[in-house]
Amino acid sequence: MFLNMKLLAQHTLNGFGGMGEGMSMQLARDGRRVLWLAHESAPKNFTAVDVTDPRKPKVIVQTDLPHAQMRSNSLEVAGDLMAVAYQTTKFGLKPAGFELFDVSVPEKPKSISTFDASGPHSRGCHQLWFVDGKTVHMACADPEQKPRNPKDDQVYRIVDVANPSKPVAVGRWHLPGTMDGDDAPPPKRLPAKFDAGFRAHNTNVYPERPDRCYLAYIDGGVMVLDISDRARPKMLSHWTNSPPYNGFNHTVLPLFGRGLLVVSDECVQDNGADWPKLVWMLDARDETNLVSVSTLPAPPVDAFKTKGGRFGAHNLHENPPVPGAWRSENVVLGTFFNAGVRAYDVTDPYSPREIAYFVPPAPEKSKTGQIQLNDVFVDDRGIVFTVDRGGGGLYALEMNV
Amino acid sequence: MIPDGRTPVIVVTGFLGSGKTTLVNQLVRKESDSLVIVNEFGEVPVDHELMESSVEKAIALPNGCLCCHLRGDLEETLIGAAMRRRRGEIAGFDRVIVETSGLADPGPVAQTLYADQALARDFKLGPIVTVVDAFDLDSRNASIDIARAQIAAADVVVLSKVDRGDAARAEAEVRGLNAGVTCIRASFGDVDPQALLQVESQGNREFPATRHSSKIRSFVLRFDQPVRRELLQQFISTLIDLRGPDLLRVKGFVPLESGLVAIQGVRHVFDRLRPVESGEPALVFITNGVEKTEVEALWQAMRRLGS
Repeated sequence: MFLNMKLLAQHTLNGFGGMGEGMSMQLARDGRRVLWLAHESAPKNFTAVDVTDPRKPKVIVQTDLPHAQMRSNSLEVAGDLMAVAYQTTKFGLKPAGFELFDVSVPEKPKSISTFDASGPHSRGCHQLWFVDGKTVHMACADPEQKPRNPKDDQVYRIVDVANPSKPVAVGRWHLPGTMDGDDAPPPKRLPAKFDAGFRAHNTNVYPERPDRCYLAYIDGGVMVLDISDRARPKMLSHWTNSPPYNGFNHTVLPLFGRGLLVVSDECVQDNGADWPKLVWMLDARDETNLVSVSTLPAPPVDAFKTKGGRFGAHNLHENPPVPGAWRSENVVLGTFFNAGVRAYDVTDPYSPREIAYFVPPAPEKSKTGQIQLNDVFVDDRGIVFTVDRGGGGLYALEMNV
Repeated sequence: MIPDGRTPVIVVTGFLGSGKTTLVNQLVRKESDSLVIVNEFGEVPVDHELMESSVEKAIALPNGCLCCHLRGDLEETLIGAAMRRRRGEIAGFDRVIVETSGLADPGPVAQTLYADQALARDFKLGPIVTVVDAFDLDSRNASIDIARAQIAAADVVVLSKVDRGDAARAEAEVRGLNAGVTCIRASFGDVDPQALLQVESQGNREFPATRHSSKIRSFVLRFDQPVRRELLQQFISTLIDLRGPDLLRVKGFVPLESGLVAIQGVRHVFDRLRPVESGEPALVFITNGVEKTEVEALWQAMRRLGS
């Protein structure tokens, strides 16, 4: 099922094709394009795929996790450095935090250091952002804090890795009221069936505004933080859609030249149980007053909602400010689980238009019987890479819009 | 980049027996992700799951203009195909090829795409391809006005049967009516699909004065400085009021104060102004008896009034 997107290749990654939400491209010293991918769950940690020829992707390395009660889920490459998130399935386990690797020889990633965030109230790091080679911004538990509700363990943390062998935590921020000792009252939780926690998810920081963090906080909405003083981030604005919506704000993508923010929700329940999960366009010309102006047109709801598996928004291509990545202020791409990967023209933010999509057939042995596209990365050749959460692995697509 | 994800609708027209069916057949063989819409089943013997049928239907509009017979079934077929594609009921398609057999004038198809806002969300007019028989030039004399309108409206002319006919003479005749058109010579419909499908609207060539003795005229109106949007819209509107039925094709680019826009029109129906990044600031007119001097005089008069 397609519109203006063509399949160039699919790779099931040696039978371990259940992929998370870490996709990052390395322009290797020898000229190769290497796509690094984080796995959704054990046993695999990460996989590197040579996508120099997107029609013939080749796995060049695939690594294992130290045990099965954890997952990597997220990773980022900056130059020859790669940061990999580690999240445990239970509180108190290790490793929880992130690990830094030297990937100058992609076939042989060498561990440089680990950042330990383990503790009795910690599940470690779910997601990280690492684009400048010096700073990791992440959604990670802070062992020095005790959340009032265990679901609220992961906060926004800043770690200085200018010396990669000695990562140093330099700042943190959490939604007031969620930690023991806070003056603010606890936030009102969503109904139990939708309560996913008041915790950080994506933590994007761009060179256009190095003093700002564009933060999504799951059930807590989204925030623009002033991080000019990294030790003391300050909230400049806060926008939330829940209630009445069903929480789980995932990503905030700024379109700097347009004064816009693109905010994605994440669907986390099968068969439309938490529908609607949408992508929202916010007018951010005044960053202290975020105004919702539209949502990206959803795929036909009745055709997908109860088809099986998850249906709704998830990851966006985040315009990462790194060599090899495509950046656009007019086209937004996102993954929508069983409704595939989709591209939207947001030239008119009041009336976004769907301009391309690709919905692969369900991979073999899919638990849900459906494709579950999870994340998307577009390289500067315009090749769209997307991964399946089930077992489909990596898909390389050509977009023609 | 200005994205445009709409699917192009390629209109293939030409006289009966000129080789339209052979051409469509070849195109679909080489570019399989095509949705083909034909007037009669069986006319295009292609083995393709996306085959659709459309029955010609004319709807008389209150203004009674003969060139405005909306093709209701085509509209329904296209909207339905887009809906089914979005719902996953059909896999997808990269282009639509409409063979206008039984429909002599390609204008109404173009008009349908320009005029219908719902349709224009998913589809855009691709090249109008007119197949011209290089072997039997005289066959067109049976209805010479329609044949000339077909050639005048074309973005691409495929000269068919060049193995048997006088291709040079046929091309000269075509260029006498539509000097800027892309001409492709073909035997048995064998053409490079990309050469044909990727032809963009022309609009940047100065045409030689037509040599043809008919009333068909082609000329270029150039713009040396940015124009106010309202003035351009009034100019087009006035031109349509005065000579709409005789505007066989108007296309090109006009610089507005806000940037360059593309213009496409057939007779009295024009597509909305679309921003584009580049293009030579000029409008190409192919008309039935409307002279360049008339259009220039109107434009200059409106500029003076509007300034």
